[in-house]
Amino acid sequence: MKSILIGGMGNVLLGDDALGPYIVHLLATQYAFGPDVQLEDLGTPALDLTHRISGQHAVILIDCISTQDHPAGTVLVYDKADLLSAIPAQRLDPHSPAVSECLLAAEMLGVCAENVLLVGGVGKCFEPGEPLSEAVQGAVDKIIGAVLGELWRLGVTAQRKTSSAVSERWWAEQIVTSASLA
Amino acid sequence: MAKRITIDPITRIEGHLRIDVEVDNNAVSNAWASCTMWRGIEKILRGRDPRDAWLFTQRFCGVCTTVHAMASVRSVEDALKLEVPLNAQYIRNLILIAHALHDHIVHFYQLSALDWVDVLDIPKADPAAASRLAESLSPWTRNSKNELKAAQDRVKAVAASGQLGIFANGYWGHPAMKLSPEINLLAFTHYVQALEYQRKALQVVGILGSKTPHIQNLTVGGVANAIDLDSQSALGMDKLEMIRSLLAEVVQFVQQVYFVDVCAVAAMYPDWFKIGSGVKNYLAVPDLPLGSLGTEYDLPGGYIRNADLAGVKGFATAADPVFRQSVTEDVVHAYYQGEKPLHPWNGETEPAFTGWQAEQKYSWVKAPRFNGEPMQVGPLAQVLIGYSQGHPLTKKYTDMAIEKVAAIGGVHATPAALHSTLGRHAARAIRACMLAELAQKHWQLLVDNISKGDYSVYNAPVLPSHEVQGVGTHEAPRGTLSHWVVIKDEKIKNYQAVVPSTWNASPRDHAGAHGPYEASLLHTPLARPEEPLEVLRTVHSFDPCMACACHAFDPAGRKIATAKIL
Repeated sequence: MKSILIGGMGNVLLGDDALGPYIVHLLATQYAFGPDVQLEDLGTPALDLTHRISGQHAVILIDCISTQDHPAGTVLVYDKADLLSAIPAQRLDPHSPAVSECLLAAEMLGVCAENVLLVGGVGKCFEPGEPLSEAVQGAVDKIIGAVLGELWRLGVTAQRKTSSAVSERWWAEQIVTSASLA
Repeated sequence: MAKRITIDPITRIEGHLRIDVEVDNNAVSNAWASCTMWRGIEKILRGRDPRDAWLFTQRFCGVCTTVHAMASVRSVEDALKLEVPLNAQYIRNLILIAHALHDHIVHFYQLSALDWVDVLDIPKADPAAASRLAESLSPWTRNSKNELKAAQDRVKAVAASGQLGIFANGYWGHPAMKLSPEINLLAFTHYVQALEYQRKALQVVGILGSKTPHIQNLTVGGVANAIDLDSQSALGMDKLEMIRSLLAEVVQFVQQVYFVDVCAVAAMYPDWFKIGSGVKNYLAVPDLPLGSLGTEYDLPGGYIRNADLAGVKGFATAADPVFRQSVTEDVVHAYYQGEKPLHPWNGETEPAFTGWQAEQKYSWVKAPRFNGEPMQVGPLAQVLIGYSQGHPLTKKYTDMAIEKVAAIGGVHATPAALHSTLGRHAARAIRACMLAELAQKHWQLLVDNISKGDYSVYNAPVLPSHEVQGVGTHEAPRGTLSHWVVIKDEKIKNYQAVVPSTWNASPRDHAGAHGPYEASLLHTPLARPEEPLEVLRTVHSFDPCMACACHAFDPAGRKIATAKIL
């Protein structure tokens, strides 16, 4: 069995940074996958990501992108060679080793997944408690299409579920702060 | 003329540590530690059900998710005066220990060892000589010539490729690097092995917590692990056995490899027992409760002022009255509104960003103070506080470390030498050995308690309508963590987290007193100011972790030029 990990990265509490986990949430509620496909909200991983990308046949990561070069909502795709070309930053704290460092470490150990793809949407707002920005929300279908396209290329199909039951995102519950609490 | 150096790695959109130092005559003459990210997550907790808070707080940080979940449920339990069943305490303790062991191993090997180990010197090593040296230091069975040769070949392959890949950012060949090629090879071999053992520790967190990152098994009042010795879907003998065997492997790695490597590095760099002390006030909270009420603990807490080890004061409980009353946060040099230092229950988190200004505001980190003074937190604080109180387990491994350093390098270190950069590394290794022993103890306590027929894991919380306050503490891998909650009308009225790196990365306060990172850098000698390796050594020794919560992938910061636009 060729195992495939679809991992959403980002913090669900910080605006557009929720994009990765949100896409994974949508895929899990709208599609059925075979036992070789694993869907996971990876949160904001540091070096532990190395373990998640090791020993897999393929890894599809979904993340929010921070860049001034493209407008918010642009969908960008990075393949393994792109990610491995990164020059690691000086490490000051355990968050510094990120996607590229984990790939480089797994590669050095000879255990890195053969296929790695990062699908990202350029973000706009990263404020605590904010929902996805309109621009990023508008990129959701395209990102799901890119993920399903990569799966298809890997020889795996996903079945669209017939029931339209969509579970709520636990983090998106709106809080009405009453004056009595202030 | 002093020269300013800024170390500001752009690793994310924001949310990392920035260090500025002034260098005069090749030594640090002034220092600023700042965090570049606004931490405002606490604000979105207001108005929510306090029983849900832990699910949100464990998203404060991507590395230490567990610790913020644990401190959160403890804060609400403290506010409600809720007892936690024994099984739940032991299960939580095992998660905390496994997380801490994972974290300490990652910190030493992956995040700081290469400050001391020159990777590009490794091709020169003789694997047979390195293997003989290793066998004289430790009974570890994976120090064979073949194992060392395989690790050396990995480095040679990376070096031969012309691109240094994962090693592209080190200060290789720096004059402050002092280890022999053989010790460099040995440490690097363990760097590779460490990846395997930290993963095993993480598996323990995953088995008990159902998932990592973001454990799912906590609840205010206990844990949600169903216990049934005969069931494969509940916590039964097969899972307990799996945990026991994973822990046994991690324990062996910690005691035979990590501890020995730290002692060897310390023996070869004795000057670093005299560098990097800084703030000599220390704070730690008791942790690993042994009873349902939290009156007895396996890790002691307390505080020390001005390096006065004999004058140590202990805390009786994890929410000791002295601790509850003595913590304030000052924002004079932090990007927040406010004038006076505030107690966390009355704390405010209203941003007032000004940009970095050396004499004014320069950090998103607040300045926590204990009785008005800056405190150093972390394994060093815990070890000094335990040692000074005669805590037997702390004394056992501290004395063992002192003996080992003397045996390897003829360096006679005393507990007083621990006020230093190397002292922080040594204390973390000492603490890891203590936790390794306690992992086995708490596994046995859990199994014995279940064997008595006690399957209880949870006491239901009852939220009062009147206002209540609570503090939940945890002695996390980086030190004292406290979550402070105010509950009114069954909702959260205020929530503040005072995290370990806030204590250590604290900016100056209204009195101008430096925080621990800043103070520890003063007078550090720099061989090559343009390559400030020595600054990194001291900053890394604290195991800094700015509650980084944002993960946006930053291709510019990572210098990635290529991407396909869809």
